[in-house]
Amino acid sequence: MNQEQAALRTRTLLWVWTLFVIFVVYLPVFCSALASLTKSRYFLFPIRKWSFDWWDKTMASIEVSTLVKTSLMLAGSVTVLATIIGFFGALAFARYNWKGRSLFQKVVLLPIFFPQPVLGLALLLWFNALGLPLSWHTAVIAHLVWIAPVITLVIAIQVYGFDPVVEEAAFDLGASRFQVMKEVTLPMLWPGIWSGMLFAFLLSWGNFPLSLYTSGADSTVPKWLFTKMIAGYTPMVPTLGTMSTLGAALVLSIGGVAVILARRRSN
Amino acid sequence: MSETALMGVSRQKLLLDLVGVRKTFDGFNAVERIDLSVMEGEFFTIVGPSGSGKTTLLRMLAGMDQPSEGAIYLRGESLNDMPANKRPTCLVFQSLALFPHMTVGQNIEFALKMRKIAPAARKERALELMRVVRLPETYYSKNVMKCSGGEKQRVALARAFTYDPEILLFDEPLSALDYKLRKTLEKELKDLHRETGKTFIYITHSLEEAMVMSDRIGVMRDGRLVQVGTPEEIYTKPSDKFVSEFMGEVNIVRVRPDGSGRYKSEDLAGSFTVNAPASTDGYVVIRPEFLRFLALPSDADNCLTGRVHNEYSLGSRVQYQVRVGERMFLVEQPRRQSFGGGDVTIGWDAADAIFVAE
Repeated sequence: MNQEQAALRTRTLLWVWTLFVIFVVYLPVFCSALASLTKSRYFLFPIRKWSFDWWDKTMASIEVSTLVKTSLMLAGSVTVLATIIGFFGALAFARYNWKGRSLFQKVVLLPIFFPQPVLGLALLLWFNALGLPLSWHTAVIAHLVWIAPVITLVIAIQVYGFDPVVEEAAFDLGASRFQVMKEVTLPMLWPGIWSGMLFAFLLSWGNFPLSLYTSGADSTVPKWLFTKMIAGYTPMVPTLGTMSTLGAALVLSIGGVAVILARRRSN
Repeated sequence: MSETALMGVSRQKLLLDLVGVRKTFDGFNAVERIDLSVMEGEFFTIVGPSGSGKTTLLRMLAGMDQPSEGAIYLRGESLNDMPANKRPTCLVFQSLALFPHMTVGQNIEFALKMRKIAPAARKERALELMRVVRLPETYYSKNVMKCSGGEKQRVALARAFTYDPEILLFDEPLSALDYKLRKTLEKELKDLHRETGKTFIYITHSLEEAMVMSDRIGVMRDGRLVQVGTPEEIYTKPSDKFVSEFMGEVNIVRVRPDGSGRYKSEDLAGSFTVNAPASTDGYVVIRPEFLRFLALPSDADNCLTGRVHNEYSLGSRVQYQVRVGERMFLVEQPRRQSFGGGDVTIGWDAADAIFVAE
């Protein structure tokens, strides 16, 4: 009897908690989706008239397509570069024992704890001092300062679980150093690299403070949302925000499906 | 000497020659000036406790570590500058080091794939080896991580054989397995050695394992080879106390000559008859199976009086712990005996004990 009561209490608590999380985390996202589906110019709740007008307008807008392109190029470049840097960084972080390793492990982590607006400002001053013209290219560098360490950590977790003896075994079986990397190290670290790539893309796609300071005249999706919110709100703001969220969710699901498929294939 | 041992020795074709091989890690001598010759087709086992340098020695043979001093010759040619991937050696690791992201077949074929052999030929060779190591053909496309411990062992073995290396090196590959499986695989390994005629260099910390399989055994301690010989030689003529202790559970009594041709021990009463070459201090080593309970003290050359402290069933035999003064002696008997709880007399014949000089 007592056990049943305890089980009931646990179940109730779980439900309360789940609803709380949904309410706090997901409902606001849902609200922005609702706000994009109004026909009127301003956001009034409850919504009087539903329509996809603002979605059509957003899709057709040249301005939006330019900044989505910029955001994609930015996030794409950051993904590629951060994954390459993070991969080798993770090997240095977790695989090899070298003299400066423990210092390296600490130094690499620092940018993650640095407040991003301050980091953005510092980088802006730095680019000015160097005389670099600001554009999304400089934003790539700025994003990397913050994202590459995160990716290094994500991949390093995978590297910690990697037994270096298998590399020796492959080498002993006649593989060249390059073949060891291609046939053994990379495939075994692939899950970590893959999640690192997803992280890099999503972190760059949604980053606002660093882009605000360092992308100059180029606008990205988060930057545009902010400026439009300050001056010139239209329902295109929640529309693009919803699209951006859906886009990120899509990237994440593609990643998830790829992992499931890879797992199924290896079984 | 066993037949295979004779075969290995009678060919007398020198394969590997280690001359003054030494390995130093940060000022610590892991391996100290080892000289050793291994014949073609031999099953040579290196035994020693952990930290004795046996793995380091094996890694130098495989080419994963370079000797700090000295050289390793293969048929007279120095191997020192030859990297592991060019050597005709293959190492079976203690952890097996299977590729977890590959199937059984891909693991076995790995060496052939690296040598750009066509897939069909690779598969044929893999299936052939799977038959040799007794893995069912259906395992070819099985995920290697889903195999049991013994199956993984067989995969690792097959993988080592694929590209036909001349020398197979084994780093305690059976240590993680349960007793019964280990015994089975020891015999299979020995069969594999006979069938392939390849040179096996095997390391283990178990002399028992070494005895079962080897043509010759080298006992290592603190980076040195203390004794090299056939299993029989190591068993019957251990060169020192360390080697004799290493043979498993033995009774060791430190003795010194008492001047009248007999020997005395510091912590045991009476004097003993010892078959020793010269009158020197040393140790008498008595195996548990050579100690027996005596009805009369005169039934054996030497005797001691004590009390039965404990008895253990070893399955095929019974082991007794007998307390004599402050010391414990191990006696093994084929059958259980009952004792009234009073004093018992245990003894041994001088010919059954081994004397090793100090």
